[in-house]
Amino acid sequence: MKIKKDKFKDALASIAKEAKVFLPMKGVYASEYRVWDGAGEPFFERNTALPPKELLFPRSERMYEYDLNAGTVTEAAPDEKIVIAGIRPCDVRSVEHLDKVFLESEYTDVYYRARRENLTMIAYGCATPAPTCFCDSMDVVPTDAPGADVVMNDAGNSYVLTVNTPKGEHIRDLISSFLSEGKADDVPAVSCSLKVEKPDDLHKQLIARFDDPMWETLSDACLGCGCCSYICPTCYCFDIGRENRGKTGTAFRCWDSCMFSDYSRMAGGHNPRPTKKERLRNRYLHKLAYFPERYGTSLCVGCGRCIDKCPARLDITNVPDIIQGSESNG
Amino acid sequence: MVEIDHGCKCPGNPLLPQICKVIKITEETPDVKTFRIQTLDGKKPFTPLPGQLAMISVLNVGEAMFSLTAQGDDWIESSIKRVGFLTEALHNLFEGDLVGVRGPYGNHFPTEELKGRDILFVGGGIGLAPVRSFIRHAIAHRKDYGELDVLYGSRSYGDLVFKEDIFDHWPKACNTHITIDIEEDGWDGHVGFVPSYLEEKAFSPEGKAVVLCGPPIMITFCLISLAKMGFSKENVITTLEMRMKCGVGKCGRCNIGSKYVCLDGPVFTMAELEDLPDEQ
Repeated sequence: MKIKKDKFKDALASIAKEAKVFLPMKGVYASEYRVWDGAGEPFFERNTALPPKELLFPRSERMYEYDLNAGTVTEAAPDEKIVIAGIRPCDVRSVEHLDKVFLESEYTDVYYRARRENLTMIAYGCATPAPTCFCDSMDVVPTDAPGADVVMNDAGNSYVLTVNTPKGEHIRDLISSFLSEGKADDVPAVSCSLKVEKPDDLHKQLIARFDDPMWETLSDACLGCGCCSYICPTCYCFDIGRENRGKTGTAFRCWDSCMFSDYSRMAGGHNPRPTKKERLRNRYLHKLAYFPERYGTSLCVGCGRCIDKCPARLDITNVPDIIQGSESNG
Repeated sequence: MVEIDHGCKCPGNPLLPQICKVIKITEETPDVKTFRIQTLDGKKPFTPLPGQLAMISVLNVGEAMFSLTAQGDDWIESSIKRVGFLTEALHNLFEGDLVGVRGPYGNHFPTEELKGRDILFVGGGIGLAPVRSFIRHAIAHRKDYGELDVLYGSRSYGDLVFKEDIFDHWPKACNTHITIDIEEDGWDGHVGFVPSYLEEKAFSPEGKAVVLCGPPIMITFCLISLAKMGFSKENVITTLEMRMKCGVGKCGRCNIGSKYVCLDGPVFTMAELEDLPDEQ
């Protein structure tokens, strides 16, 4: 199936009749997935600076209202239908990882589930990865996204569409009047220029080097700003707080970062991760060792955002590089 | 070898507290109070297994994870030391005030696996609170267990928690050994730190499991003493604490390696902990 590029916005308008459509767009400060107002242009040149995770896991989200006078708590129930048109394969993979945490582990997160069930993802295959992209080293195919409902790839004056799921079939039916026949197999293969060699037992090797001086060196320049967690599509740690008015108020959760000292500090002052060395080690090991141990897959999708935006030029790919280097040095 | 069961599931929204009432507050020490909690319709909020945790909130202040120290037919109890912002708010509550409660979370003490065995319970300070849930269980099912010993110590007589239990109730069902750190007027019991008292008592490791909880420094020295006495790491069980927000293994902060203390813990054997990265 194909859709002519000049019909793309008409197709979006058909979808927008029944769901809120989000597109990668240029923002004032950073590119991000924004609500499409019916006229805005998609930004497809490179991936957005901000990840799409907030559509499933908002920066700040109401969980429940409490009323101590009445003795009640009232649960929030998000129910908005959302379609993301133009999510990159790396970001689709990040959603699959978030699913593991919020849907497939011991407890189901009801807020995430409500948003996830209402989400349709139309992926946009990457034709030109950025210099910081390394998704194909992290088992993502730049031009394909099996976890998306629909995948679209640029083919000159049109997009080639592949439907993966019943939600995708629904999108196809909504926009059928704009579609024409076309093959999907004419998408040229794409390769990232940044390559990361990682051994199969990387997680074991990293844990074995828990006390290695390399963590000190790696974290030396870290400012503890938390930018990496904020723009990471898979960083899902959160804090729970409340906005209180006397005896009533709202409990909310919001993004948190393991790079902050407050994150793990206990009442009484003890902090199991007292310096940036322990904090950076925990973040990298969570991505590359702990998550693989628990969920069977690396938590890094190779989107390269943290490399691109870190003010201190920290680079997560240095970690497997060091392991590889030390291996080859014997 | 003590195998620890790591399974527990709650239906519904695990992050939503139920509103409960504080029906009784007991002042244990100058900075520890025990809160007895019941639902608004006079029921038990849930039935925790010994060692399990609950998120307790002063709804307009915040919430934190606490061990549940005891339960009855229609209440659960938690003993809380005043150390920070939320615990201060808890200590300012009166009987009849409302709190939020959710749980139970985490695994539990191996009550089944230790049936027929001798158990030595070791506690220091407020560390007796989580251990007490198991002691109460063992005493309630006295025939299921062999010899029971409780060795408990605190800074001073005034800092000993659960005085009725340790001096009146428990001595009827188990051997109790109470110590305080430094001599004081009116105290004719043992004086000295928990680890040295442990060595003095020279408990035999034969068939005995140890359940240990207290401040980190006490645990460190108790482990040295227990190793000297011949206890294997598989037979020493402890319960950990970490900062927690969600209680269900998602918010991230309570991990030790790939384990979450809220979900896979708080109860671990020393052998299990040895396999995890050495976080402080």
